[in-house]
Amino acid sequence: MSPAQPEALAQAAPSRAARGSIHVAGVAKAYGATTVLSGLDLAVEAGTFVTLLGPSGCGKTTLLRLIAGFIQPSAGKIAIDGRDMAGLPPQRRPIGMVFQNLALFPHFSVEENVAYGLRLRNVPEAELRRKVGTFLDLVGLGHLGSRRISQLSGGQKQRVALARSLVLEPSILLLDEPLSALDLQLRKQLQAALKEIQRQLGTTFVFVTHDQEEATLMSDRIVVMSAGAIQQYDTPPAIYSQPANLFVAKFVGELNEIPGRIAAVTSETVEIDGPGGRHALPMSGIRGFSPVPGTSCVIGLRPERITILPPNADADAGGRIALPGTVIERIALGSVLRFVLRCGEQRLVAVRLASDGAALPEAGSPCRIAFDPADAQVFEPLAAPAAASFGEKP
Amino acid sequence: MTETQPASPAKALLLLPVLALLGLFFVSVFQLFSNGFADADGWSLRYFRQIVNRSDYQVIFARTILSSLTVALLSVALSYPIALLLWRLERWRNTLLIVVLVPWLVSLVVRTYGWLVLLGPKGVINGMLAWTGIIEQPLALMFNDLGIVIGLTHVLIPFAVISILSSLLAIESNLEEASGVLGASPFQTFRRIVLPLSLPGAFTALIVIFLASIGAIVTPIVLGGMSHQFVGSQIYQEVMYTFNLNKAAAWSICLLAISFLSLLLLKAIERRLIGTME
Amino acid sequence: MTANPKISTWAGILLLISLPAPILIIIGASFSDTSYIQFPPEGLSLRWYRDALFDPRWPRAFAISVCIAAVTAVIVTIVNFMAAYYTQRHAPKLATWLELAIFSPLFFPHAAMGVAMVALVAQFGLIGTAPGIVLAHLIVTLPFSYRPIHIALRSLDPDLVRAANVMGASEWRALKDIVIPMCRSGILTSLLFAGIISFDEVTVTMFLIGPNISTLPVQIFSFVQDSATPVLAAISTISVLITFLAVIILDRVAGLTFFVRHDGA
Repeated sequence: MSPAQPEALAQAAPSRAARGSIHVAGVAKAYGATTVLSGLDLAVEAGTFVTLLGPSGCGKTTLLRLIAGFIQPSAGKIAIDGRDMAGLPPQRRPIGMVFQNLALFPHFSVEENVAYGLRLRNVPEAELRRKVGTFLDLVGLGHLGSRRISQLSGGQKQRVALARSLVLEPSILLLDEPLSALDLQLRKQLQAALKEIQRQLGTTFVFVTHDQEEATLMSDRIVVMSAGAIQQYDTPPAIYSQPANLFVAKFVGELNEIPGRIAAVTSETVEIDGPGGRHALPMSGIRGFSPVPGTSCVIGLRPERITILPPNADADAGGRIALPGTVIERIALGSVLRFVLRCGEQRLVAVRLASDGAALPEAGSPCRIAFDPADAQVFEPLAAPAAASFGEKP
Repeated sequence: MTETQPASPAKALLLLPVLALLGLFFVSVFQLFSNGFADADGWSLRYFRQIVNRSDYQVIFARTILSSLTVALLSVALSYPIALLLWRLERWRNTLLIVVLVPWLVSLVVRTYGWLVLLGPKGVINGMLAWTGIIEQPLALMFNDLGIVIGLTHVLIPFAVISILSSLLAIESNLEEASGVLGASPFQTFRRIVLPLSLPGAFTALIVIFLASIGAIVTPIVLGGMSHQFVGSQIYQEVMYTFNLNKAAAWSICLLAISFLSLLLLKAIERRLIGTME
Repeated sequence: MTANPKISTWAGILLLISLPAPILIIIGASFSDTSYIQFPPEGLSLRWYRDALFDPRWPRAFAISVCIAAVTAVIVTIVNFMAAYYTQRHAPKLATWLELAIFSPLFFPHAAMGVAMVALVAQFGLIGTAPGIVLAHLIVTLPFSYRPIHIALRSLDPDLVRAANVMGASEWRALKDIVIPMCRSGILTSLLFAGIISFDEVTVTMFLIGPNISTLPVQIFSFVQDSATPVLAAISTISVLITFLAVIILDRVAGLTFFVRHDGA
């Protein structure tokens, strides 16, 4: 069950669903004794660019295949356009799909690839020609229709795969990591093109990726998945600033993790024993659990939320927490400066604007490390399977 | 294909033709056995008893087994240089493969006929030797075991080349170079790297060629004549001239038994040999 | 033997040349002028080809061989394609058993196979008929035709079929539009390979012929036993030419490396 999506759940009544909506209710998939997905609920509004994000093996591709109809769920229901899809083979679902390896038909020309689905639907020749032309133009390949697939570049192949699926005007387009094989620059171009085409057509796109930056750039909504369950379903900014748990927080961006132990809980604050003593943090920073005194926790700080001050600065002003530390590394990365700091045993990463660089200490010098308690987030430590997906021991 | 579609029973009809053919094959095997354990009057072990008791039949079996063993070993030994040549000459491999494949696929009747032309008393080899004055009387190159072994070896070598080459091609091609760079002599490289890795292909060839050789009919008849019979020549006679299918079947069952036993034996040897090499 | 790479290379070249040698001798003899094959040859002529052409037995045997090879190749390829497609897509667990059964005729010595086929074909009363010979050839070629088809189907990207399905193709339509065209070279390899084997088969076939029907290799065999007339050399040369052409076509459409690929069945 995805945490707190009241409006999505309210819309889960399939009868009111528009063309392009997806409703996943209690869907589970198991192969023998191995559970791949357990009890997923998800409601996607029509016209959304939604991304399934998660590490490999989290179940995102399985969910995509369930929606496509290549495999059948062990339990639960999937509805598209408000229609129950149970038992329908892929060819009878209102979907299109772009495969990871594109799966273009090598024995067909570009035009024949795009026309194939229309021919299956017995579209009259004139209309077929017109549609194929329109959609090849849409993806910017109008002049390459007669080429063979083997004569195309990687990016052009992506565009053919896209046109081939979109020409059938599906309610939903499923994209299974189609950009993962491309180099960075081409990838950026196609991300922009894909987003633009989605905006123009208003088709629901379900995009699978393990790249959080790609997900953030393109999506209206992101489904963060791990260990066969949905961790969070929200807009990219909300997922970054209000992650549901430590897994999501770590997966969608760099995070400093400071281990601590909960000492006391009041209605306004939670007091945590951590490096440099006991700190009072606001209850609003608690993410996805109820704090119990005596249990361990993780304080999460985004790198851009850490301020670096001279060692003698009056850091406590404005209620900030300040700890003595040392600058270990200072690296210029274009418009930002990246600092690696040490505070006692704890290693921290901070990112500051390069334009403020003159006032910031050099590597090797002592400093004070400060942050606003309102910027700190408090998480439960990761459970074993989630930790394993980051290559960590719990 | 990773996920299999739930099969509708109608699609299982696709298996019907192959099952029908395999069914017919098993029927034929069943008939072979019921023919072999019978004579004109009904169930009988008469023809098996004949084979055990008659010394001329024992000679035929001994000749077949020993010649076939010679042919198998000879074919594998002679095909190594050819396979190594094709393995090393990557650029020419395809062309040279044609030189191996065409003789393999040309009808064995034609190839055997070629050896008849070569080995006969007035054949090319004797003609050449007489012409150059080396011999005055033609050499007896055929109508004996020598002719059979030469013919069968030539007929079956291409398969050994293909089998050994398949194994060699599964080896990373720079393994031989790497071994040379490390200071191994060519013989050491062959002995320690190439030979062990190509052994599975060599053993497959050994088995297949032995089976093909003990079951041969055409080559032994043409090059051995009726004085030097193979099990195959005897079977041919029983079917074609005396119409004794029961006897032919009994002989065939003996061939099957020999193949089965030699298969087990060679597999056991292969396992031990590969074990000691590692 | 292989101790010295130079010796090994020269041995390899000599042995390689010796493989087609008897065939080349026959081709040379077929143009000989004399009525028995002798060395050195004395003159050139095409008379043996003319003799072969005007003796009705030879064109007839040739036509029968070609027809039987063509029918056998087409049927065995369809049979194996259906079986391999079904097991790979719908019953992969069955594949091991099916392959074991399909490859079992390979472990039969030819003579035993011949006697088994005589018994089978005789039971249907088909001795001396084309259907009887085709039936035996189907069983003999079954294992050889299976492997190229199996490899072609297995190396087909399953996403291509899924893509066709998503675009609206039924299983049959995807089979027709995608699977069969993509497996073209495997299917052609099976057709040619099975065709060559059937065209050249003699050990099993010679038990199945009758007064009205004989194949080219079987007829060559019965002539070889009687006389070594150079007509045989002419006929053999034609038979070699057919096989050679088939191998060249195979090389063009599918490549010969199939034979030395170390994977699959």
